[in-house]
Amino acid sequence: MNQVKIEIDGMEVYTQKGKTIMEAAEEADIYIPHLCHHPDLHEEGGCRLCVVEINGREESHTACTTLAEEGMSVTTKSENLDQMRRLSMELMLANHVDDCTTCPKYLKCELQSLIQYLGVSTSRLRRTLNAVNVETGNPLIIRDPNRCVACGRCVRVCRDVRGVGILGFHKNEEVRTAVGVNGGLALAKADCRFCGACVEVCPTGALQDKKGTFQEGNREDVLIPCKQECPAGINVPKYVRLIKEGKYEEAAAVVREKAPFPKSLGLVCMRFCESACRRKEINGAVSIRELKRFAAGHDTYRWKEKSVFKPQTGKRVAVVGAGPAGLTAAYYLAKSGHAVDVFEKLPVAGGMLSAGIPDYRLPAQIVEEEIAVIREAGVKIFTNRKISSLEELKNLGYEAILIAAGTDKGVRIPLPGAELLNVHVNIDFLRRNLLSTPMELKDSVVVLGGGNVAFDCARTAKRLGCREVSVVCLEEEGSMTAGEEEITEAREEGIRIYNGRTFVRIIENGGKAAGVLCRKVESFTFDENRKLILTVKEDSDHVISGEMVIFSTGQKPDLESFEELTLNPRGLVETDGSGNTGIKGVFAAGDAVTGTASVIQAIAGARKAASEIDRYLGGDGNIEECLTEDEEVNGFIGKAEGFADFGRRTYRCISLDQRKDNFHLMTEGFEETEAICEAERCLQCDLRPRLTRSRFWTEYQYK
Amino acid sequence: MREMEADVIVVGGGAAGLAAAIAAAEQGAEVLVFEKANTTGGCANMAMGLLGVETKLQKDRLIDCTRESAFQKFMDYTHWRSDARLVKGYIDKSASTIAWLQDMGVKFALPSKYFPGSEATWHIVQPKTGAPGLRAAATMIKAMTDRAEELGVKICLDSPIQRILKEDGEVIGVVAKDGEGEISAYGSAVIIATGGFGDSPEFINKYTDYEWGKDLFSYRIPGLTGDGISMAWDAGAASDRMDMELVFFAPNTGGYAPVELPFRQPNLFVNLDGERFYDEAVVENPVFSVNAIARQRDRVAFSIIDDAILHQYEKNGLDLINVVTSNISMDDFKQEMQELIKNGNDVLFIADSIEELAAKTGIDKEGLEKTIADYNECCKFRDTMFNKNPKYLKPINGPKYYALKFAPSAYGSLGGIRINYKTEVLDKDNHVIPGLYAAGTDANSICNPDYVFVLPGNTLGFAVNSGRMAGENAIQFIKEHFSE
Repeated sequence: MNQVKIEIDGMEVYTQKGKTIMEAAEEADIYIPHLCHHPDLHEEGGCRLCVVEINGREESHTACTTLAEEGMSVTTKSENLDQMRRLSMELMLANHVDDCTTCPKYLKCELQSLIQYLGVSTSRLRRTLNAVNVETGNPLIIRDPNRCVACGRCVRVCRDVRGVGILGFHKNEEVRTAVGVNGGLALAKADCRFCGACVEVCPTGALQDKKGTFQEGNREDVLIPCKQECPAGINVPKYVRLIKEGKYEEAAAVVREKAPFPKSLGLVCMRFCESACRRKEINGAVSIRELKRFAAGHDTYRWKEKSVFKPQTGKRVAVVGAGPAGLTAAYYLAKSGHAVDVFEKLPVAGGMLSAGIPDYRLPAQIVEEEIAVIREAGVKIFTNRKISSLEELKNLGYEAILIAAGTDKGVRIPLPGAELLNVHVNIDFLRRNLLSTPMELKDSVVVLGGGNVAFDCARTAKRLGCREVSVVCLEEEGSMTAGEEEITEAREEGIRIYNGRTFVRIIENGGKAAGVLCRKVESFTFDENRKLILTVKEDSDHVISGEMVIFSTGQKPDLESFEELTLNPRGLVETDGSGNTGIKGVFAAGDAVTGTASVIQAIAGARKAASEIDRYLGGDGNIEECLTEDEEVNGFIGKAEGFADFGRRTYRCISLDQRKDNFHLMTEGFEETEAICEAERCLQCDLRPRLTRSRFWTEYQYK
Repeated sequence: MREMEADVIVVGGGAAGLAAAIAAAEQGAEVLVFEKANTTGGCANMAMGLLGVETKLQKDRLIDCTRESAFQKFMDYTHWRSDARLVKGYIDKSASTIAWLQDMGVKFALPSKYFPGSEATWHIVQPKTGAPGLRAAATMIKAMTDRAEELGVKICLDSPIQRILKEDGEVIGVVAKDGEGEISAYGSAVIIATGGFGDSPEFINKYTDYEWGKDLFSYRIPGLTGDGISMAWDAGAASDRMDMELVFFAPNTGGYAPVELPFRQPNLFVNLDGERFYDEAVVENPVFSVNAIARQRDRVAFSIIDDAILHQYEKNGLDLINVVTSNISMDDFKQEMQELIKNGNDVLFIADSIEELAAKTGIDKEGLEKTIADYNECCKFRDTMFNKNPKYLKPINGPKYYALKFAPSAYGSLGGIRINYKTEVLDKDNHVIPGLYAAGTDANSICNPDYVFVLPGNTLGFAVNSGRMAGENAIQFIKEHFSE
């Protein structure tokens, strides 16, 4: 007989032998006030709020430390018990500040909910703890000893659940017991793993996350910032952990669960994950993109055995544009059983991945490898095939159409001289070979714009042999949209960057471009209609000379063929956020909807659209797949000496000499040992939501 | 999306929302409450008590503030800027609301004044243990939560509302979000009671005359982000007068901190020019005082005392006491002063000379020297500037000089959603938006232009009473529009 029957407040309750009264009550949804008890921690019976009366026994017993025994009759609610509990509360409140209003835990505080439940306002006892300063020095965890009630949950979770054990009870100068870091050290010096478990289990505001560490929202989502910030929701902590464990092919499969371009992403992803990584507050974000590159490089494609293919539906879908958005949607729609044809106006598939981003950043051959997997899933791609109207596709018998045309029309700002000879727009320049555009290369080039595409143009020009290459942009150095590394590497390659300029006109010399007349900008803003408002410096006109000028000041979608679509004032396709354009059976995704964004945003938008199209065609819209086993995660992470000092590593650049005149991939990813070291730096934010969330009295059925 | 249905949907499980939910459920309605925190009560968990006029407790103690005189006082104070019928309805209902709460098991301490010149309308909750002070009303929240659930009200915790749903001009429900995603909740009436915008610097900067952290150091009770107000506006509601529920505190000390005790007294107050600016006997009325302080440069004022005054207070007690500070002793003051000195601070200044005090505080030296000289002279005869009550004229002679910096603060916000006296939400043309109600601080524009401190208990009083009204009115609306 493993089961025991007891009675709690007149109710019959069955529980496993060996469980406590508290556990039996919890299972039966009966509330017994408690504070030091936490379902994931061993019991101490210290706060004495969970006192109960047991029939036939004298004195009261703490429910968290008393085993349920067959036939026991327990009373959890009585005036006598409440009086004892209130006394215990007063003992705790005597050392807790009276003011809750400034506490970030307000209404998320277990102590406050106990104040409600037990009807205790303030303590009648004299304060025994003098006010001390709140410790705000750590970039992630704030410690406010004035709100600590010494329940010891943090001490237990750190020691027993995480195996780190850097917290303990200490006597302070007034010989009062308080929780602190062993040895009085700072958290980083004590080798804290910054997993956040202590904050998670703290019932009061004594341990807090620094404001801004997490977004507002659902605990399971927000507590894993890298995963939450990834537009496609890739399970970052999972693949980082798999790399650490040497399971590289599984790591690759985790990325693959959400995105069909892992290798490309490993090279060019905008890495929203890294901007959200909590480790950046300590000593630099984990190099997540590099770890993805490493994992993708070790892909064995064995995940294909688990890849889901639904039965053929006989429905046909046309996708316009073979960029990351179009191909991602095509891939998932094909897997959902539909026949998918992708129409690409260019001679190659891949969109900006192959006809935009230069080979030195992302080699065409890698993109082709990834597209091969998509073709293998049944997607047909027709290149050199420009679609002239929606009608054309409907006549071909397609039941659904996805417009994923991207934004590949460079914008030529209507300045005087913008039509001169040797003035080009970014996309034409980057595609000059692909489309065999006649273009005379010059010795000096001025690129107008400060985004990644501007740098693609500038660095391409440099590699083609242009001697003098300048990038001129409106933004100041810190606010350019191009990535920091892009800027640094371009400088190394000898490219000059002029910040804070506006362009007045293109200088002419014999009908040809000879430079750009610029004016210095003091500040700029955008009004409600996104119109630029400039404040310029008086008398600051100057010429930046160059025989070739390239506009890289934004791109627009080429949607002339699809005049039925509703466009917003920016010339982008208006959708409902899930890809519906308002025209029955016509959907849109990618840059044509969002404006020039990132590969991962295109993939995320395409996943949504694919799901919506599948539903439209009668499917369930579920494109999720599980290519890896559910992890058995060991939360007992143990101590790692010098953990806070583990430095960030990232890719290596090929030396200047070897990269400046060719288009070979210019970066080298991690070696195995480097990858493991980098993965070790992860704070494993995904461990925290695995801890059981404490319930408040309001959440129980019997209270 | 998951769907839920009820007769009445209440947004916010604070004092107003719970009152609305209970009132509606008592008439047999199915009620859903969406609360974004993990427990109920909102800012009422820090509150002390609520207004009641002509309650049994008052009558038993011969407190003769009548409904008529309270109404008159209220309207005189607000110059008829407030909706008179809403004020009348609120005051007339307040006694029955106190009885209603007592029936739920809420116990009250004595009906109190806030300061000697105010009425004893403040029904402070008697907690089971501890003083009837700070946080006492949390005990009331427990009783209200229990009562709501006993009546079958479903309280969804950790479930913020995303938006209000409307169809053909009528409000038909809300979209909420919980751990599992979004829920569409449909109801015949929706009551907004989210407690205002006290935790939103953006709202404060945009809709009031203050900038949080610069010239306003108000309580920011987490979660009071103005979300209910924004959603009501999005659903077509007009805005009403918005302000802060102003008081004054020493910045960043928590509010009514023990260190303020001997400084919140009718001694010398000066501005940065070193000049007096008001009759310091008014210090007992926080609203009048903050109005005066807010007119000064940088919106700061300094209360200046010396050793003699401190010793006198220690020995004979303070000149002025109010209910909030009555639990604090001069011992607490001394302890906190020591802690502030030890931990460092920028509000308490101690100096051995007027010159040093001026240098430390940033007060103009000449101005301060002249003012103290003039003031000390006045102390011998009478206050020739403001005619302050002579018993409060205590000269400032050192040897140690103490100054505490005061600045505008606030308990929270006031107003945002325009309602009529039936608590129905109005659009910009003053037409009722069918099915939409608002209660509590989100809709409290009766304290116009100032919080009516002479009738204490207005914030929680208006919350509970307007909540109750909204619940009852919503039921009336449903009976009239939805029964066959």
